[in-house]
Amino acid sequence: MKDLATANLDNMTTAEFEEYLPELFESGGGSISKDPRFANFFKSHPDCAALVSDLEIIAEQAKSLFDPGGGESGGGSEPSDAVWSNIASKLKQEPPTTKEN
Amino acid sequence: MQTKPNPGFFKRNAPIAGEAEAIERAKNGDPDAFAKLYALHKRRVYTLCLRMLGNVSEAEDMTQEAFLHLFRKLGSFRGESAFSTWLHRLTVNLVLMHLRKKGLQLVSLEETINPSEEDAPKRDFGSRDTMLSGSVDRVTLERAVALLPPGYRMVFVLHDVEGFEHNEIATMLECSTGNSKSQLHKARLKLRELLRESQALQPADSVSEAAR
Repeated sequence: MKDLATANLDNMTTAEFEEYLPELFESGGGSISKDPRFANFFKSHPDCAALVSDLEIIAEQAKSLFDPGGGESGGGSEPSDAVWSNIASKLKQEPPTTKEN
Repeated sequence: MQTKPNPGFFKRNAPIAGEAEAIERAKNGDPDAFAKLYALHKRRVYTLCLRMLGNVSEAEDMTQEAFLHLFRKLGSFRGESAFSTWLHRLTVNLVLMHLRKKGLQLVSLEETINPSEEDAPKRDFGSRDTMLSGSVDRVTLERAVALLPPGYRMVFVLHDVEGFEHNEIATMLECSTGNSKSQLHKARLKLRELLRESQALQPADSVSEAAR
């Protein structure tokens, strides 16, 4: 990965831009497409603009996967009832938990 | 050293109604309270295991292990982070330990630097007319994530879905922070490829419907 501080933002090649991308996403908070520093570059490199837009969509939509079904009564996949039966049965054999301070 | 909070992470780990009381009661040995904690968190823990392992049976086994471990460790939860953050970290560590026992190399440095042609994202930016159509529905994304090579999938799930930071992922996976960033970028590129392939197979009407 290359250091963005050394980049010539208006005259980068597509390949150079791609090398900066992982760091850009990390430092840019997921909104590179709106960063005015890249406006000229994106105008002259629409494929890079499309790539960044797509990667932003993917990263944003990934957040929605965190909650698989909206809590106790929502949809989404869940473990079979056998999992809780096994846990409950094993807990009966466990000594009670102790509170640490 | 205090780690910088990730705002997106905490947004995804908002407190759940009744959780704090259930934790305190469960710490004091109330079995109903522990059952409540299971009911509140079983889907997220199971889904996390399933995404990391890609196998229903193993995911159920690890969900069971995670809650048994939770029961034993609950007394040490001090509320310094959200309960779900703590529980998910505990679960991730158990799954990683399980994978290490199986001998799976989690993040292959060789794969990062020189990925196999089949698994690595293509070095092709594509053209504007084949970019993703504005939005991706979660079912399609979930399917694409399941198709990622294990190393890419692990980092993508931990960072983009679970909200862990690269330094935390690097510690968990015993790799460098740069390696974690690189794997994440390649995972997103590979996902873009998979999603574009999936959109190309859909009728035009359903693609524009998804974008609305």
